[in-house]
Amino acid sequence: MTLSSIIWTVVKILIVVGFIVNLSAILTWMERRQSAMMQDRVGPNRAEITVFGYKIRLFGLLYPIADAVKMFTKEDFIPPNADKVLHSLAPMLSLFPPLVVLGVVPFTDTLCLDNLHEVVQKNGVVASNWHFFSSWIEQPSCSLPGAKNFIDGCCVIGCQTAGVVHQPWAEHFGTCPANVAPGMIGAIHMQVIDFNPGVLYVFALAGMGIVGASIAGWSSDNKFSLMGGLRAASQLVSYEVAMGLSIVGAIMVYGTIRLDEMTRWQGDHVWGVFVQPLAFILFLTAAIAETKRAPFDLPEGESEIVAGYLVEYSGMKFGMFYMGEFIEIATSSALLVAIFLGGYNMPFLHRDGITIAVGDAVVWKQHIPHILVILMQAGAFFGKIFVLCWFQMFVRWTLPRFRYDQLMKLGWRMLLPAALANIFLTGVILIAFDRTGTEFQERMGVVGDFVNLATAIAITFVQLWIVIGFFGSTQPAIRRNAFNKRARSAGEIVEKALAS
Amino acid sequence: MPQPLVGSFPYDKVKGTAVPKPTRTASEQGYVSEITKGIAVTMTHFFKNTRAMVRGERPDPVVDPMSEGITTLEYPDQKRPYPERFRGVHRLTHRDDGSPRCVACLCCSTACPAQCIYIEAGEYGGKDKRHGYERYPVKFVIDELRCIFCGYCVEACPCDAIRMDTGVHPVPYDSRDQFIYGKNMLLAMASQAGKQKHENPRAEPPDADYGPIERLAGHH
Amino acid sequence: MPSIKLDGKEIPFEKGETIITAAHKAGVEIPHYCWHPGLSVAANCRMCLVEIDATPTRRQLVLDVLAWDEKKQDYVPGRKPKLEPACQVECIDGLVVKSDTSPNVSDARKHVQEFLLLNHPVDCPICDQAGECKLQDYWLSEDKQPKRKTEEILHKPKAVEFGDTIVYDAERCIVCTRCVRFMDEIAKDPVLDKRERGNLGEIFVSPGRKLEGHYTMMVDEVCPVGALTTKDFRFKARVWFLKKVPSICPGCATGCNTWLDYDARTGEVPRLRPRENLAVNKYWMCDDGILTHRRVQEKRTLHAYVGKGKARKEVSPIAALKAAAQLIKDAPGKVAIILSAQRSTEDNFALAYLAKKHLDVKELFLARVGDWDGDDILRDNDANPNVRGAQRGAGDTSLSPLSELAEPVAGQQISVLIALGGEADISDATTVGALGRAKLIAIAANHGPLTENAEVILPAASFAEQDGSFINRQGTEQRFSAGPEPAGDSLAGWDILARLARQLGKPIDWKSFLDVRAAMKAALPSPAAANPESAAAAAPAE
Ligand code: SF4
Ligand code: SF4
Ligand code: SF4
Ligand code: SF4
Ligand code: FES
Repeated sequence: MTLSSIIWTVVKILIVVGFIVNLSAILTWMERRQSAMMQDRVGPNRAEITVFGYKIRLFGLLYPIADAVKMFTKEDFIPPNADKVLHSLAPMLSLFPPLVVLGVVPFTDTLCLDNLHEVVQKNGVVASNWHFFSSWIEQPSCSLPGAKNFIDGCCVIGCQTAGVVHQPWAEHFGTCPANVAPGMIGAIHMQVIDFNPGVLYVFALAGMGIVGASIAGWSSDNKFSLMGGLRAASQLVSYEVAMGLSIVGAIMVYGTIRLDEMTRWQGDHVWGVFVQPLAFILFLTAAIAETKRAPFDLPEGESEIVAGYLVEYSGMKFGMFYMGEFIEIATSSALLVAIFLGGYNMPFLHRDGITIAVGDAVVWKQHIPHILVILMQAGAFFGKIFVLCWFQMFVRWTLPRFRYDQLMKLGWRMLLPAALANIFLTGVILIAFDRTGTEFQERMGVVGDFVNLATAIAITFVQLWIVIGFFGSTQPAIRRNAFNKRARSAGEIVEKALAS
Repeated sequence: MPQPLVGSFPYDKVKGTAVPKPTRTASEQGYVSEITKGIAVTMTHFFKNTRAMVRGERPDPVVDPMSEGITTLEYPDQKRPYPERFRGVHRLTHRDDGSPRCVACLCCSTACPAQCIYIEAGEYGGKDKRHGYERYPVKFVIDELRCIFCGYCVEACPCDAIRMDTGVHPVPYDSRDQFIYGKNMLLAMASQAGKQKHENPRAEPPDADYGPIERLAGHH
Repeated sequence: MPSIKLDGKEIPFEKGETIITAAHKAGVEIPHYCWHPGLSVAANCRMCLVEIDATPTRRQLVLDVLAWDEKKQDYVPGRKPKLEPACQVECIDGLVVKSDTSPNVSDARKHVQEFLLLNHPVDCPICDQAGECKLQDYWLSEDKQPKRKTEEILHKPKAVEFGDTIVYDAERCIVCTRCVRFMDEIAKDPVLDKRERGNLGEIFVSPGRKLEGHYTMMVDEVCPVGALTTKDFRFKARVWFLKKVPSICPGCATGCNTWLDYDARTGEVPRLRPRENLAVNKYWMCDDGILTHRRVQEKRTLHAYVGKGKARKEVSPIAALKAAAQLIKDAPGKVAIILSAQRSTEDNFALAYLAKKHLDVKELFLARVGDWDGDDILRDNDANPNVRGAQRGAGDTSLSPLSELAEPVAGQQISVLIALGGEADISDATTVGALGRAKLIAIAANHGPLTENAEVILPAASFAEQDGSFINRQGTEQRFSAGPEPAGDSLAGWDILARLARQLGKPIDWKSFLDVRAAMKAALPSPAAANPESAAAAAPAE
């Protein structure tokens, strides 16, 4: 470990944790505001601060701050007969796992630190004198003196073991192996920890969520808490099985359990959702169930068991559960993005810029400097997470809660068999695909390009639709007055009756 | 036709009609399409309302309360005008000299279905011009938290001493004792138009139209 | 028995009775102001006018009148019987009287009522009579029309003090002279009279005098309107909030029958009123008797106490019971009891029963308060309502006075005393010293010399709060009923004694007043000679 690698690790942790914690805060606002919009209400708009005499309300975005103030200043109540240690431990146990899960998820492509302003190609070719409108000059070599090694297309300085391109150490940690003289790192993997277990790590940590909830339920000395804890435990265990099995199909297709490699596969081919649609739905369902939110909020089921395992929590301890819940939404969205929605990839956005091509036919090509590509990728990744969170909110505010037996039936009798069937089907198709010739496989590649094209068009269209629909027309929207309409028609009926 | 029986429950012995299980199509059983439909509904609302919000085109909640979209009245900022006869918190009316018109007859507290009016009657002192002529409330307490705002007290008052025309609805307070309105508090309230006087004119001893007390002097 | 026919109803009468008296006895009310069954007839209010048909011995007066004819829209000559006051006309056998059934009578009542209210201030909101006022009642039943006079009324003096107890309002007075006649005929002190005529009429006190004596508050009771009010009750309560139970005045040995008016919400007893019992008090009470309602609030022992003087502290009733039981257990054979002439026969019986049957007590004393000035109207010299009841409760044995207590206490034959009641007349120092030396357990409703010297005080209910009976000077047993709930921690006296017995391990398990009555009946051989009439009248109204 060099100093620079430590610094980079810290920076990455800050990026991931900062993003996720802030996102969870914003999600609390989004939850309120979005549900309000869905239910014809106004939503949060009253928290205000006064700055230089101006009252600022920011559409209710100050609510999370107010929440934090409230939670920190509230009484921290521990029931007299509760297990004090476990009661305090439980919120931490439920906040911690979702926070660290994202450690293995890459949020951009590998960063070539020394070529930020240049166009970096897949094979490590760097066009140094890049200009937006001019053509570019290929320089099939590292521009830095003495750097001959490439990692994911980046130059690595100081690792002088020539000819070894895919050196495991350098590849995975962006540093030189021990027997090589340490030097500056040229390639940074944009994920906090870079190690092989990948999704297994994710599942290992996600499994810990049960511990927090059930300890909370047990230690509160409250029958409702206990029931909530039990419900949480059984629900999480059940859906973890389905969740784990649902992505086996995806793993088979990608041929790896490392999330960065999965993402890269999707960049090279198509998004996972198109090759594993069933797995996507199963994973999404199971992920929502794992967050313990409606329609799977039985552990809290306020109509039956008050607030489940949260009954005896107040102040910031409750806040930690609450935060953990929202962070879980963010993490589950991030996993869905990384595994099924292409991670940081956007259709036709490659390392060297945008290349719209179907098969071999290049429609349009534009080189973009490395730093911009990285930023666009980051934007795509975080943007996708945001959209998925938004979607999860819709699910939460649209569907009513399951009954407990329905919940269990759904988990064990529908999701699990479907996941198994998916594995089986994927296996069959994969074997069949391998047997086909290269011609067919190339044709499938073209199909994939079309799918990418469709995706790109759809994304562009939706964005345009939103922008035009929201801000475009200046014509006032016509409001239908339901009441007047009804009154009018009643009047008409009376008039008609009188006329006849 | 009764449905096929399940288990050993004696359905045939129980009077009543079995409710048939609703038939469900495959798409309904398969969750996904129905969920999509549901989300489509909420999304429609979401986009419509967000659009109206962004563009500031919300219907006026007072003028147009029944239209579609967000018609929430944002209460402390926007207020629905109260009708003239709205029953707000009570006030005690004043006489011309500012003393309470109330004579502590307890009619209001008798009429009150919530039993939330407490009055202690007192007698004007021997020198007072109203001595023997009127009495007054030493204590006049209304528990506005217990009050159901029926207005019976106003109807019962023979003196126009208590009114509910303040236009002030009961304010949410932090603690119960803040809802206990005492005599001074009630006397300090004014009507929506700012009036504090009573409107039940009565000739009082020093008034010009109060007939002279005709004592035939020296006659026993 | 001869009878008259009133509105078609046969009403018997005794010779010399007026129509209104006969009707009153038969339970039929003819509207009236100035008539009172206990006073002479004045016949000045004209409210009781009735139509009396001619009989062979009595002709009917008929008047020529002008009557309004609706069709002609004019007055036409007509005839109408002359109405006569029911309060003054003596009954003759077979007399046919029309009261409610005669339109002429209704008409007359309506007009009388209107006249009475012509210059009336209608002070009802501030008038203590409101709710039990005959003006209000008859306006509602006979008149029911708004005032036609628009001018300001004639104003007369208000809040005139007639003495230390009574306030007079001339505007409200209808000059029925009931108060004048009461002072004259019953109180035998003709200090009130009427002056002026017509609108200006009013009642006044003889110059140089005040309304005073033992019977001043009765004038408020006889006044049918709110013209006379007592300072004691003035502005204290509105009568419609009060509930009433039949009770007995605890003032003296006469045992006047009363209505006990109490506010069930607060447990307060703002006044007592006389209850008709012709054998005992007729319709009257004395002032001091009326003021005994204060005993329900004043100087009450609301909680249990243990200890004497400075060491006295409030404890829970159970703790006090235990302390009392301990005292009794610690001094076997040295216990004596003090019965009370102030408390009910049942309480006295309960203490005597416990003492004689279970504690083997030989010495029974009687605590009584000193005499007051009696007269030959109602008041007895003996200010104890229940001397005879205490004796009866102890099985008709004679009871030693408290002054005989000093010797056995000094001689150590007695070391523990169980006393009923707190009041006692203890004047000599030896008795006080004896009380101080012995350990005294007082079961009392009010503080007095006995509770002052008590080691343990157990709070008992007052006469207003528990059922019971007194035996008056005539030997009549008169029951009284519980009104408000016992205040504070207090309980009925017999209940406390039963609990004390259970603390001592003695089998006394009375649960209700009726249990005590039954036990008393079983334990005491010859019932006291009852006066059937008063006993019937004294039974609870229900
Ligand atoms: S409004 Fe009704 S409930 Fe309230 S004080 Fe008046 S009578 Fe009582
Ligand atoms: S407010 Fe009116 S009704 Fe109530 S006590 Fe006063 S005068 Fe009587
Ligand atoms: S005397 Fe009767 S009518 Fe007159 S003010 Fe009093 S209650 Fe009213
Ligand atoms: S004061 Fe009362 S009792 Fe006396 S004359 Fe007047 S109305 Fe009658
Ligand atoms: S009662 Fe007969 S005249 Fe008054």
